[in-house]
Parts: sequence; C-alpha cells; structure tokens
Amino acid sequence: MQRREAIKILATGTILQLASPGMMALMREARAVAASPSAPRTLSAHQFETVKAMAEMIIPRTDTPGATDVGTADFIDLILTEWYDEPDRSRFLTGLHEVDTHCQALFVKDLVEASAAQRAEVLTALGEKTEELMEQKRDHAQPPDAPPDQSEPFYRMFRRLTLTAYYTSEDGATKELNFEIIPERHDFCAEIQPAPARQENQ
Amino acid sequence: MKNEIAGTFYDAIVIGSGMTGGWAAKELTEAGLKTLVLEAGRPIVPEQDYVEHVPAWEMKFRGLGDRQKNLSDQPIQSLCYACDEWSAKFFVSDKDNPYTQTPGKPFRWIRGRQVGGRSIMWARQSYRWSDLDFEANLHDGNGSDWPIRYADLAPWYEHVEDFVGISGEALGLPQLPDSHFLPPMQFTCAEKVVREAIAKHFGGERVLTIGRSAVLTQSHNGRAACHYCGPCERGCITRSYFSSVNATLPAAEKTGRLTLRPYSVVHSLMFDAATRRVTGVRVIDATPNPKVSEKARPVLEFRGRIVFLCASALESVRILFNSATPEFPNGLANSSGELGRNLMDHLMGAGARGTIAGNEDRIELGRRPNGIYIPRFRNVKTRQPEFVRGYGFQGGGYREGWQRGIEQSGFGPEFKKAISRPGPWRFELYGFGECLPNRNNFVELDKQTTDIWGVPVLKISCAWGENEMAIRKDMTITAAEMLAAAGARDIEVFVEDNPPGFAIHEMGTARMGRDPRTSVLNPNNQAHDVKNLFISDGGCMVSSSCVNPSLTYMALTARACDHAISELKKNNL
Repeated sequence: MQRREAIKILATGTILQLASPGMMALMREARAVAASPSAPRTLSAHQFETVKAMAEMIIPRTDTPGATDVGTADFIDLILTEWYDEPDRSRFLTGLHEVDTHCQALFVKDLVEASAAQRAEVLTALGEKTEELMEQKRDHAQPPDAPPDQSEPFYRMFRRLTLTAYYTSEDGATKELNFEIIPERHDFCAEIQPAPARQENQ
Repeated sequence: MKNEIAGTFYDAIVIGSGMTGGWAAKELTEAGLKTLVLEAGRPIVPEQDYVEHVPAWEMKFRGLGDRQKNLSDQPIQSLCYACDEWSAKFFVSDKDNPYTQTPGKPFRWIRGRQVGGRSIMWARQSYRWSDLDFEANLHDGNGSDWPIRYADLAPWYEHVEDFVGISGEALGLPQLPDSHFLPPMQFTCAEKVVREAIAKHFGGERVLTIGRSAVLTQSHNGRAACHYCGPCERGCITRSYFSSVNATLPAAEKTGRLTLRPYSVVHSLMFDAATRRVTGVRVIDATPNPKVSEKARPVLEFRGRIVFLCASALESVRILFNSATPEFPNGLANSSGELGRNLMDHLMGAGARGTIAGNEDRIELGRRPNGIYIPRFRNVKTRQPEFVRGYGFQGGGYREGWQRGIEQSGFGPEFKKAISRPGPWRFELYGFGECLPNRNNFVELDKQTTDIWGVPVLKISCAWGENEMAIRKDMTITAAEMLAAAGARDIEVFVEDNPPGFAIHEMGTARMGRDPRTSVLNPNNQAHDVKNLFISDGGCMVSSSCVNPSLTYMALTARACDHAISELKKNNL
C-alpha cells in the first residue's frame, strides 16, 4: 500500500526522481559514456586485462551477469585514478604486478595468458597468503599508542572493489540481489519465497 | 561599514530553520505573529534536492563517496555515517566553516546549513524525558537543578507528537514515558529472538522495544506513510519522516505570515541598553554572487519585537558572543558567565555484536529506517556503584549482505551464489550514555579565526570525564551479557573512541535555571538579562539524559513560544 502511495506521489510531482523519461535517457547516456571503452587512465592495457580477468574469476557470468558485464575494471580504474591516495595506488599496482610474478613462477606466463584452472590456482594462493597476512596483523603486538595499521593488503582491496562494482551496478543490484528502489512490500521477518525463474532475455 | 535596514518590522525573528526554528515558525505564525525566519544556508526544494531514490549505480563512486573532495572540503563532516555520496550536500563545508579546538581535546562538530538544517539528516529517534532526568542534577549534585519538571513539559510533548507523528510501542516505563504513538514498526527475526531472551533473563528490568521514530507508519496530517526505501538522510519525497522542510515550515507558510529568508548569515543581535531589549538582527547577505567576495558582503539589519535563537547550541552561543556590548563584554545575556559553559553531548558507540542462529529461511523485505531500543536500566531502581546516570542501547538484528564476501577468499560461481544470498543474522547493541554537565567543558570565541564570511569562530574545549568512561565500560559488559542470554555466537565487544560532538547531540551552552546568577535562561527559555530574547535549541539544556534530544527540544520550543505569545499579549516584552 505504501509503495503504491509513494509511486502515486512521485508520479504527480513536478520533477520526477525516477520516472522522467528525459532524465533516464540522460542517465543512460552518461552511463554509456562512462562505460565506453575509453582508455583507462591509471591502468596500462595489460594491467586492465589482468584486473578484468581476476574480477571475472571472482564474479563470473552465470545465469546472471558477471564482473566484466558491469564494467568492473573501469570502476577500478576510476578508483585508482580519482579516489585512492598515492600509498593505496602503489600498494594496489605492486600487488597486481606480483600476481603476474607468481603466475610466471608457476606457469611461465602472465595471468591473462593462463588457463582458467591456472588462474584459479593463483587466486587460491593469493587468498591463503592474504589470510595469513591478516592474521599476522591481528596477532602482531603493537605498542598501545601506535595508530592501528589500516592499510588493506592488495587482494582485500581488489575484492572490495570488485564486489562493490558488481553489487552496486544496476545488473548486480536488480538481477542478482532483486533490489527494488521502492520495495514491493515490507516484512522484516519474511519467509523466503521460491525464487522466480530468471528471464534470460529481459 | 554602513548597514542597511531591510524589510519591514516583524513581530518575531527566528534564527535558524531546523528542528527548533521550524517549530518556532509554526507556533508563532499560527498565533498571528508576522515572523521572519533567517537561515544561513541555501533553500531546499524537495523535488530537486531529495535523492533517496537515486540508486548507487547512478553515483560516480557508487556510494563510496568522493574521497578526495571529502579530504579537502569535508574532513570532519564526512566522518558522519549520514554524510555519504548522496547527502554530503546537506553538510557544511569544513573549509568555509572552521572551528578550533583545545589541543588534546578533539570535538567533532557535525553541521547542516540549509533550510531544514539538520532536521533533514537526523536519525529520527524520538523519546520523552522523565523526572529521573529532570531531577538528576538535584539528586547527585552535578550541574544545577532543572527549573522545570516532567509535568511542565508533558502537555507540550503531546502537542508536538500529535503533529510530528511518532511510531512506537507503549511500555508504561517510568524512566521512559510513552508518547502518543502511531503503530510501531515490526521487529526483524533476530530482534524477536533477543527481545524474548531479554524478557526471560532480565526479569522486566531490561526491555527491548522498537525504536520510537518520527517516521510515519500510517498517513498522518497530510503526510504519507513510509514506503521503506531506506536512506531517510537523503530526503523523503513522500514527507514520511518529520523535518521542518517536510512539516513545520509548510504549516507556517500556510498562515501567510511567514517570511523565510535563506542565505542570511546572522552576525549578531542589536541590543538597546536603554530599553534592555534586542531590537533586531545583523545579517550578512550570503546570496550567491561571484562578483562580491564573501568578506565584502552587505550587512542587513532586520527589526523585530522578539528574537528566537534556534541556530543550534553552538551557533546560537556564537551569535551571542559576537553580540557583546559594553555592558555584556563576554557575550550578550551573559551576566551569569555561564554562556558557552556546560557543553554536553552523548557518549556514543560502545557495546557488543554477535550472530543469532536460526531463522535462516527468513529475510528482511524492505529497508526499515529504524532500529531497536533498550531503555535505560542502570540507576533506575537500584544504585550502580561505579557511576551515576545511565545509558540506553540502540541497534538491531539484520542479515549480513554481500560485503561479507570481501573478507572471504572464495571465488567462482558457487562463491557468487553464496554471497548473493543473505548471510547470517547479526545483532548489534550500540550504547548512548548520559554526559554530566561540567563547567570546564566550554566554548569561547576565537577572534584570530574567522569563517568565510569573516565572522569569528568558536574554540571548543570539551572532554569526557570519569563518569562517562565508567558508563562506557559498563555498556560493553551489559551488551555482551544480553547477547549471551540470547544464545548469540561469536560475541565481540567494541568501544569506538568517539570524541564529544559525534553523537550530534551537542547541548547545554546557555542553560535554564531559576537563578540569573547561575543560568542564562529562565524556566521559559527567556534570557534572564534580555526579556525579548529566547533560546530554545539545545543550548537551553541543563542536563543531557541518555535519550536522543530532538523531541525535547521541539516540546521546549513550543512551550517557549506559548510563553512569548502570552507575554507579548500582556505587553511585557
């Protein structure tokens, strides 16, 4: 009932936040420009492909879109360029380089040339190494007045950006999480309904 | 500089258009007074400025915020959870609006300068005080005694609640009187579990209830019920939560007696030593104009019969400091020397979290803009040896989202499927504690530093005391205790080391009292020294209670307006 009322109010407003066709078209255009394959600003072409491959390994396309479909590498390039400060940026790029170093040591090729199984092996090792690193950070006795070390290891940064890019994208939010801007109904202790069959061609 | 006398003569001038300014505007105009409301910031047009339905994918940084801009323009404001990529525009620029602090005593001053003030981004929690609060200073000797009691304010709570619309559950607790409630919001599954466990294990002394919230659960006074989209701090096109923009200012507008003037930075008040009255307000015209630098703006004078300061506890005091006269060299209406003293906030952010097993087949549908509340239980019936006063818990139970996948190591189709589903039910108890009034927590004018308009800024000197630290420690213990009683797993206690100010409940800088020698305001929010000057924002508070203060500010404002109107009728002002 509230939803219907909200939509009614929106529909009678002078400027529409949701439904104005002009505005939506403008936003779509802006998105298209943002998502267009303009050259990345911080990542090199090789780095960009590496990021894309890793992100797609973490969130692959299944019956719903994957990391590549929603432009995850573009978002990561934006964050590297306009959001991170220099220490974050260099920690990220060093970590990304080490992925290739590790892949070379194991398979004598860069990640982008590796097979899916080889990529999986690299990511598994990276996950284990990161967990060890986090454990060391936790256990490492710090003098009580030392500022906490808040720098995230590379793979945590990478996962944070990848999952954020995916789940906050329109496809990730609406197709994967069934996110509704105005919820159809509210019930804070609701039984899970069987998922409706996904419609591939929508 | 020659000032310009602007506009006509007003019956009343209200400084500030937020939580209390909106109420003063409504009450004064509805009583027939021609009222000018001065707002330092820009106008707000809900259809343009509210952004609660803009999804993350339309935002450049997908909700992470513009970090570099935050660091340069809003390093303090952006620490606040509500100052996100959408709503950062409702918070001030720290660059343009500086303040200074005593070294070693950090204070976080979170501010909004626009029509609506912070009522646009407030957290909407609304609780009545009780006599446990009003008598606290008298009983334990901290601060000075409140000049009013619950009975004085109860009718005014009703008056504002009936207009605002507060959803909640009646409990009949003496320490937390019930409001006139709209139906309560529902609990989540985990909240039901913890509520039952607390009722079972803590014998009625501790109670878990739904947050009492100024969010409508049914349509009310022409405003629509909440549609549970979630982020109220970005605005509300259906006007379902209370703000001055959504409710009180439109009501004042309807009378035809309101003049609302945005871009009006109040510099100071004008005082006539012969009549011992304020005669009006000096305003810096802050209308955007790239041709005139901010420090060379015209100063306008507005005249009125009475002045209501509703600019917030700190801004109102700053205006009075900047209004010093030969008779009041330390700030207008400050013969007591108490102006700027006894600054309080709430001690916020200690408690515990845990995981509540069960209900894995159930989820939350919709985003409830409200949590749970556990009313104060310390020093209510029994005496706690370690500290005086008490605290309440906010918080709630929710299913974890995809963010949990960041700290995991999995990847691939199975991982994607797993983290796209709701995670375990988590539960958090987050304490809000009472802060004692203390003369040594104070603000003064820093004449060396000015804001973008050239107005001297405040220097803040405020720190928690021993009682607050003891309360903080107890919060972690009782929170963990309650989670353990509810069978929670992985219980972790936490203490956020939040400096004063961060609860955004700053108050007490112009306290009420019976004695003009020890208080700034009389029991009707009227300055002892200047009869036609009223302060009804958080400045008037004599103690802080542990509950969120806005409802009390609103009730005090309506009550002060009623007094001002009757004094005007008697020609006493």
